[in-house]
Amino acid sequence: MMLLSVENLSISFRTDEGPVTPVQGVSFDLAAGRTLGLVGESGSGKSVTTKALMRLLPGSAKLAPDTRIRYRDKAGQIVEVEKLKPDARALRALRGGEIGIIFQEPMASFSPVYTIGNQMMEAIRLHKGLRGRAARELAIEMLAKVGLSNPAARVDQYAFELSGGMRQRAVIAMALSASPRLLIADEPTTALDVTIQAQVLELMRGLQSDLGMSMIFITHDLGVIAQIAQEVAVMYLGTIVERGPVRDVLKDPQHPYTRGLLKAIPSLDRLTRRLHPVPGDIPSPSARPTGCPFHTRCTEARPGLCDRMSPAQTSFGTGRMVRCHLAEPALARSA
Amino acid sequence: MAVFLIRRLLGMALTLLLVSLMVFLIMELPPGDYAERYAFRKFSGTGVAVTPADIQAIRIELGLDAPMMVRYANWISGIVLRGDFGQAYSFLTSVNNVIGDKVWLTLGLLVATLLLTYLIAIPVGLYAAVRRGSGADYGLTIISYLGLALPNFLLALLLLYFANRWFGASIGGLFSDQYRDAPWSLAKFWDLVKHLWIPALVLGWSAIAYQLQTVRATMSDEIGKLSVMAARARGLPETRLMVKYPARLAVNPVVSTIGFDVNRIFSELPIVAAVLGLTELGDLLLKSFLDLDMNVAGAILLLLTVVIVVMNFVSDLLLAWLDPRIRLEG
Repeated sequence: MMLLSVENLSISFRTDEGPVTPVQGVSFDLAAGRTLGLVGESGSGKSVTTKALMRLLPGSAKLAPDTRIRYRDKAGQIVEVEKLKPDARALRALRGGEIGIIFQEPMASFSPVYTIGNQMMEAIRLHKGLRGRAARELAIEMLAKVGLSNPAARVDQYAFELSGGMRQRAVIAMALSASPRLLIADEPTTALDVTIQAQVLELMRGLQSDLGMSMIFITHDLGVIAQIAQEVAVMYLGTIVERGPVRDVLKDPQHPYTRGLLKAIPSLDRLTRRLHPVPGDIPSPSARPTGCPFHTRCTEARPGLCDRMSPAQTSFGTGRMVRCHLAEPALARSA
Repeated sequence: MAVFLIRRLLGMALTLLLVSLMVFLIMELPPGDYAERYAFRKFSGTGVAVTPADIQAIRIELGLDAPMMVRYANWISGIVLRGDFGQAYSFLTSVNNVIGDKVWLTLGLLVATLLLTYLIAIPVGLYAAVRRGSGADYGLTIISYLGLALPNFLLALLLLYFANRWFGASIGGLFSDQYRDAPWSLAKFWDLVKHLWIPALVLGWSAIAYQLQTVRATMSDEIGKLSVMAARARGLPETRLMVKYPARLAVNPVVSTIGFDVNRIFSELPIVAAVLGLTELGDLLLKSFLDLDMNVAGAILLLLTVVIVVMNFVSDLLLAWLDPRIRLEG
């Protein structure tokens, strides 16, 4: 049984210009102990998707009626996340205790008026039932686990007293302090410089195998995905356009967008070759193109087909999926 | 923290020194002095011819002939060393006797006004921000803009009129007739409290409207912060979340402007006092200026400015206590 199973996740926002749907028909499963990489440009709906899993979206957001989010909690019960009331006890137990989240900006994730320890112990008290000294000990232990030097002193410091890398480690410690079984990491390395990035990735990989957690790792960098995830889902304009085991997808990408992202990665082996960025910008979800959402930027788009008809999901190989008119016939032949 | 405290204390001492100099200069500014006014009062209509020599004699008697700096030194050292504000010329007694009770009444009015302001502005502002965009929010916003637009002496007149008409209550003054000259007692204190809320409301009126908007704006900002979403993602119940994170920071701009509010209240005090028939310092300040009774005017000005400076210091301390960024970096 899967830890998390998402079916037909569609999210729309009420705005002054009418409803906008940044996420449409997203489905994926995540098994215990595995890492799913969620890749895409800014505005592709990655963050909104993961926030929906914890029901962290603002009041103006609405889930479509056929959305199903199923989570198996520590007691083995299936939680129907999309049906939880905003003030439900079960939702509060899910947040932090079952699913932890790390945001992109470590500085802004901490309140400037409380110490790091104060904010960590809050989660520990809520979910682990520990009080006072015991809660403090656990917070210190978590800070040590993420590799902060002198954790007994750090616990009483404020986020603005730490350096960028230390802050990101502290954020990870905070998200893990109530031992969630699923960790959502929303571009956790984007704000860090490259050497620290590698350290943090290494740390997260180690923690994941130590604690046996599952992870959803959001990034716009396919290179990072190769290092940390087993499965990858490529998102474009609120839909998953390609999904499968990381090795297979990177070796043999089927969607033109995935190929475009791969070509846009700089590499030391190809210094003489020019980079090929994906041309154009991602359209706004309020002006979604008809047909395939990617056809406005696709170099291989077929007029009359791609701009008219929305491509269906094609499943193939071992757990792979693609949504592209061009990939369908080729895959049909090989099958 | 110790460095912070010492620095603010030194700053306050320096400000107080400059303020006392300025107050003294203001006392010197009006043309003429009390010697002339005294001679005029004593001899006008008696047919006695007053010569400049007579006035000079009065001046020497009152100690008004010394150079300015000497008089300043005497004045300020009397206040600092002996708590003696000098002679109240037109009352034939000491300033301390004249203003004694009124200082406490004024401070009581100030504290009541501040308490009323913050007790209304902070919770209502927080509520409006949490319910942002709702009918309650728009209603409160309209009322508070009305508060900013309506001058408070007009509000005082309206309150006087309607209170009298509807309740037949006399709301002028700070005491009912039977307590006015009675010695202090619990009953007299309760009578004061019953009278105090109207001047406090009138004086706090614009501050309430202003601070309500400040709290609402800061709170709206703070609610959207990532740290608030992070706390929500830890599973914190919503009410505790709102109180612990955004509300705590939304109070900061209010705390840091306590000094401004005190300033505003003192500036509006004389007019409101005149309308509501209060016998506190504002009224006395106007009279003493008209009489050129500079020791009384100076004492009142000095007391009011000292209160403002001290309240600013208190607001600095409160802010440092509330916000570790100031405590650790300031």
